[in-house]
Amino acid sequence: MQHYILAFATLLVSGLPNVFAADVTWEHDVRPLLKQHCFHCHGELGEIEGGLDLRLHKLLVKGGDSGSAIVPGDSGASLLLQRMTAGEMPPDEDKLLSPAEIETIQKWIDAGAVILEEEPDEIGDGPFFTSAERNYWAFQPIERPDVPQASPEQRCRTPIDELILASNEGHPGFAPDADRAKLLRRASLDLTGLPPSTEMLDRVLADTSPDWWDKVIEELLASPHYGERWARHWLDVAGYADSEGYTDDDRIRPHAWRYRDYVIRSFENDKPFDQFIQEQLAGDELANWTGGDLTEQQIEQLTATGFLRMAPDGTASGGINPTEARNQVVADTLQIVGSSLLGMTMHCAQCHDHRYDPIPQADYYALRAVFEPAMNWKSWRSPPQRQISLYTAADREAASEIEAQAKAVEKERSEKAQEFITLTLEEELLLIPEDERDATRTAYRTAKKERTAEQVALLKKHPTVASISVGSLYLYDRRRADRARKIDAERKQKEVRFVEETRTAALAKVPEEKRSAVETALKIAPEKRTAEQNELLAAFPATQVTLESLAQFNPEAAEELKRDESLAAELRANQTAERLKEYQQKAAEIRKKKPNEGFLRALQEPAGKVPQTFVFYRGDPEQPKDVVPPRDLTILGERSEIPDNVDNLPTSGRRLAFARQLTDGTHPLLARVIANRIWLHHFGRGIVNTPGDFGRLGDRPTHPELLDWLAAEFQSSGWSVKDLHRVIMKSTAYRQSSVASAAAVTVDADNVMYSRFPVQRMESETIRDTILAVTGKLNAKRFGDPIPVMEDSVGQIVLGKENLDGERKPVDQVDLNGEEFRRSIYIQVRRTRTFSMFEAFDAPAMTPNCEIRSTSTVAPQSLFFMNSATIVEFSNFFADRLLREAPEGIPQQIEHAWRLAYAASPSDTEQAKAVAFVTAQQELMTKQQPDWDQARVTQEALSVFCQALLSSNRFLYIE
Amino acid sequence: MNDFTSWNRRQFLQAGTFSLSPIALATLLQRDGLLASPIKPGETPRPDSLEQRAPHHPARATAMISLFMQGGPSQIDMFDPKPALNKLDGEAFPGTIKYDNAAQASSKVLGCPWKFQAHGECGTELSELIPYTSQIADDICVVRSMHTGVNNHGQSIHAMNSGRTQRGRPALGSWLTYGLGNEADNLPAFMALPDPGGIPVEGVLNWSNGWLPSLFQGTVIRPKEPRIFNLEPPATRQGTVQDNYLAYVRELNEQHRQQYPSNTDLQARISNYELAAQMQTAAAEALDLSKETEATQKMYGIGEKETDEYGRRCLIARRLVERGVRFVQVYTRNQFWDHHGSIRSSLPRACKMTDQPSAALVTDLKQRGLLDSTVVHWGGEMGRLPVIQNDAGPAKVGRDHNTYGFSMWVAGGGFRRGGTYGATDEFGHHAVEDIVNHFDYHATLLHLFGLDPEHLTFERNGRLESLLDGQPGKVVSGLLQA
Repeated sequence: MQHYILAFATLLVSGLPNVFAADVTWEHDVRPLLKQHCFHCHGELGEIEGGLDLRLHKLLVKGGDSGSAIVPGDSGASLLLQRMTAGEMPPDEDKLLSPAEIETIQKWIDAGAVILEEEPDEIGDGPFFTSAERNYWAFQPIERPDVPQASPEQRCRTPIDELILASNEGHPGFAPDADRAKLLRRASLDLTGLPPSTEMLDRVLADTSPDWWDKVIEELLASPHYGERWARHWLDVAGYADSEGYTDDDRIRPHAWRYRDYVIRSFENDKPFDQFIQEQLAGDELANWTGGDLTEQQIEQLTATGFLRMAPDGTASGGINPTEARNQVVADTLQIVGSSLLGMTMHCAQCHDHRYDPIPQADYYALRAVFEPAMNWKSWRSPPQRQISLYTAADREAASEIEAQAKAVEKERSEKAQEFITLTLEEELLLIPEDERDATRTAYRTAKKERTAEQVALLKKHPTVASISVGSLYLYDRRRADRARKIDAERKQKEVRFVEETRTAALAKVPEEKRSAVETALKIAPEKRTAEQNELLAAFPATQVTLESLAQFNPEAAEELKRDESLAAELRANQTAERLKEYQQKAAEIRKKKPNEGFLRALQEPAGKVPQTFVFYRGDPEQPKDVVPPRDLTILGERSEIPDNVDNLPTSGRRLAFARQLTDGTHPLLARVIANRIWLHHFGRGIVNTPGDFGRLGDRPTHPELLDWLAAEFQSSGWSVKDLHRVIMKSTAYRQSSVASAAAVTVDADNVMYSRFPVQRMESETIRDTILAVTGKLNAKRFGDPIPVMEDSVGQIVLGKENLDGERKPVDQVDLNGEEFRRSIYIQVRRTRTFSMFEAFDAPAMTPNCEIRSTSTVAPQSLFFMNSATIVEFSNFFADRLLREAPEGIPQQIEHAWRLAYAASPSDTEQAKAVAFVTAQQELMTKQQPDWDQARVTQEALSVFCQALLSSNRFLYIE
Repeated sequence: MNDFTSWNRRQFLQAGTFSLSPIALATLLQRDGLLASPIKPGETPRPDSLEQRAPHHPARATAMISLFMQGGPSQIDMFDPKPALNKLDGEAFPGTIKYDNAAQASSKVLGCPWKFQAHGECGTELSELIPYTSQIADDICVVRSMHTGVNNHGQSIHAMNSGRTQRGRPALGSWLTYGLGNEADNLPAFMALPDPGGIPVEGVLNWSNGWLPSLFQGTVIRPKEPRIFNLEPPATRQGTVQDNYLAYVRELNEQHRQQYPSNTDLQARISNYELAAQMQTAAAEALDLSKETEATQKMYGIGEKETDEYGRRCLIARRLVERGVRFVQVYTRNQFWDHHGSIRSSLPRACKMTDQPSAALVTDLKQRGLLDSTVVHWGGEMGRLPVIQNDAGPAKVGRDHNTYGFSMWVAGGGFRRGGTYGATDEFGHHAVEDIVNHFDYHATLLHLFGLDPEHLTFERNGRLESLLDGQPGKVVSGLLQA
């Protein structure tokens, strides 16, 4: 790869005397080192330590307090080198130059301290850029390169192919076209993040028309799943999250999903990208909403500004330093803007001039000035304070009517509550000494502040009275229930006692001589009594008294029991809290009828309030220095100017002006950055493979002309992303096979020349979505609230609603009703809780955003396929689907599985081996699991087979 | 490569508590054949393989356990006695101090509230806070002149754990596994053991592979059970069922790879299934402490409230290294040693937790003949200042950050046994004698592993990157065993 960089470096300096190209020069080699290590104290921000300014060659020669810093031709006599070699400079040993860097400077001095171009006499306070910086490739205007002619045998289909072939001498040529099925799977996963259906596979394979490929592209671009797939890429750079991050409590962002849906719809509708960017940067200024009902368009535009609300935001959390937290939100937002739109590591110039790129510290704050009127850290609104309600005036009116009804119910409730308090009070008063009752009642009814000392003392003496309140009514309910229980218990005893007493009294009245005969008769069971005995007893009926007949023989006792019973019933009936709750529920029911109130997580600049933006000394918001006007990068020249204030807008208009300049078709960075990203997602590698950093520390473009051609094409097509897909996917570079020719392996081992289509591992979301699709479980429901994630009992983050008890232990699982099978883009993104499966497969860490994903290959990923409950579950679903859709038998099921998982039919050998595998597993399981019937054995054997397919590289990789 | 030290481990692998399948053994032996071609100076290791590779020159160490005491243990209360401080206790500090927390700063000297005493034949003076460490004084070398020079946790952690104060660089464990590969077939080469109380400052960056290939990333062992997810196959897919499944997946993958012979990622994934399959039993076995004798468990403080949890992790570390894992790092919880206040109560607590298990680890390795080839490191990213922070009464006082002179200890793997190295000024503030910067420490470590700091490089963006990254690190010969 190295020689391409060299080739391109040569190309950069062409126009300069060639003789210098390979030598060490001030501009290319030495000044960047000094800028990185020394300018901080010797030139930057007015710091000129020891009188030595190192920013100009002539100032080095002129030297500082200790004399000339360099003696051209004599490194030994050069103070600069002496101090560096001795390890004395820079004084912070952490910033010391490496031996190789010192050697570069030594070589340069010894060769005469070559400088290529004229320097100004003085450097002044403003930014100074060398020609190397000004001529840096990324800052040059985008020019559509001439497309070289290619011969027919080179199989060039679009200018992309010609530019690729031309930019690499000795290009081994493209690989043959991939076969149709492979190409379809590639395109489908690429554009929709889902594999092709078997129906589409058959249709495409049978299509005999010459434009079959164009039709495939159009069909996939029109799929509703296209927007879901490509929005995900943009959400990475935007740093999309459904939680605030910053602190450990990581609050939920309940409304962020509207921005996610906005991005999906924008891609789906191929919204011109210039408009897409303008809306995201300045949707509020475009909408110019000052109140009243929001139009659909205004809602869309305001939703778009969610882009500027994606940075981690801890300003509503406790335990933070507000200035720091706010400043961090602004800084992270600028980092997102810088890396996603400018391809520049702007944030490196927050504390000092950028060490590598021509971005003075003032530029960082000038860009900040574009955003500060809307993100004013001195007059800050935290996330909950800045939501925009989606209510219309009609909604609001309806809501207030309903609210009035609810309020009426609540009024009833509070009247009832007062009634209950009185009731309870009177009950409680009965339980205290009679002579204190009136005084205690008066004390209770007297407002707290007006109570006399005696009243306070009295209430203190009777806490059960003092504590009566609406909130404590439920406790008195319990007291009543207790009392009722007690009365009941006593009554039961009374019942026995009263019957006994009544009988005893009745016996006492029986004449002495008959008493023993009566007693004897009573002891005999009624049916065994003799006629005489019956007769005898009939004469003294009261001796046979029972509870049922008590009223007849002892009316007072029966009366008392009845009183007790009704007292207990009354006590039970007075469940006051429960009654009050019913009112509350009724009010809540009424309120439910209100129109749903949605909110936007948007950015809205307050009108007429434009704060001054300062350069923060060393990035410290407590040390504001110079005021800076809004501006794009100074290195971009005149075009970087942005007006302080636009007259026809109530807001400053700075962001709108910036957005329009970015998208006016002449900005050198934006179109390159976006075209590069689109390319990156098709090929797994960017033309500049540091998509967020086009600066010196980033990679150089491997194909600069191709990048410019794509950027120019993108802009001239009206910023249509779908057109860019078309032109890329119609190229031979895209359509070729992934198999490297022998020549390609030797000449192009790293595939930098695109001599074959790169084999790429699916991203985490695509893995999951493809598993959902293949196993027939995919729920295609789109948009709306995210699918929640939660921690399970072993600490994995899984899909589910957190349902914890008071001690934060998980209790019952909440049914997600099929939501768990929705596409991955709808899964809640919590910064502190990445869905475990995604984490295993390199889900991005949104800190604050993700410019490029990494692809790891570690053993826990294999363990996931081998043993996780998820994979076993989905293998079972897959097997069920095979049994359902191909009931004929194992060979047919294998064929179907192959087509679903790989979008291809198995070869005869593959088929035979698969049959052998399934058969062997069946035999094994029959032996191992004697309880299983044949159906179960087959299901399980097929499931393991399905698991193997899902675990295979052919499934996991796009080729 | 030192054959003797590697033999111990091999012996263990063959005759140890678990059996090796014939295939794995064959692989192991075959791989050893590959060791005949060490990386030559100027050559970079293969970025796509964990295959074991010979170092640049004969090594003394083949594995390392780093006990990372995040927060900054107070050197002047544990390792570096300064009688001058006790004389000046409560008086004004006669010099200048760089504070981190200016708001709570004071210039009042805080004497050491604990007694020091000479230990072992070497006579290293250690404080009464670490009685168990004192018993291994003759096995460890106390470095009293550590220096990173940046007074923040994050930056100093990066200095100690990834070579420079900046974020984003590969961790030490990544460099070692990149340079030497993995000795174990059945466990990841680089494992991280965070504390259940929370991950250290800078979190996952502590075991990040940075821009080295992710093959060299540290694998986290969770601080609670299950320590590794998905180790256990579902009930109906164990044994032969899984063997058949794995064989079939391998066949599918090999067939697939034939089309793309130069694709190292596909190869790595095939290898990872093998590693994962082995890990199911090997990791479960390695993490199963019930196999240890009661005496061993007791030695690590397992079963005692204060030491149980950390003791378990130390013992796991030993078991991993014993099974061929290259680099293990055990962390104390977030800011565990950051004693800005209440040092009189919190420092003894911290010592109580770590002292016994850490010392047990050294003793245990030694008695198993593994200490010679295993480096043990005990230390954090900083030490503490000789003056009071938070002057709010004796119980409340603490000490602020000090990265200009702090202590740590090293043992085994060719480090000197017993004694101290380097010195701070009479107040323990600045390292003044035989200063050991983080890059000197790293140069020395790489040297012990047989790696040449200049030549262990990785090409990135057309640049050759290294752990030292051009910093003037030198091998500290005074730290080496004669």
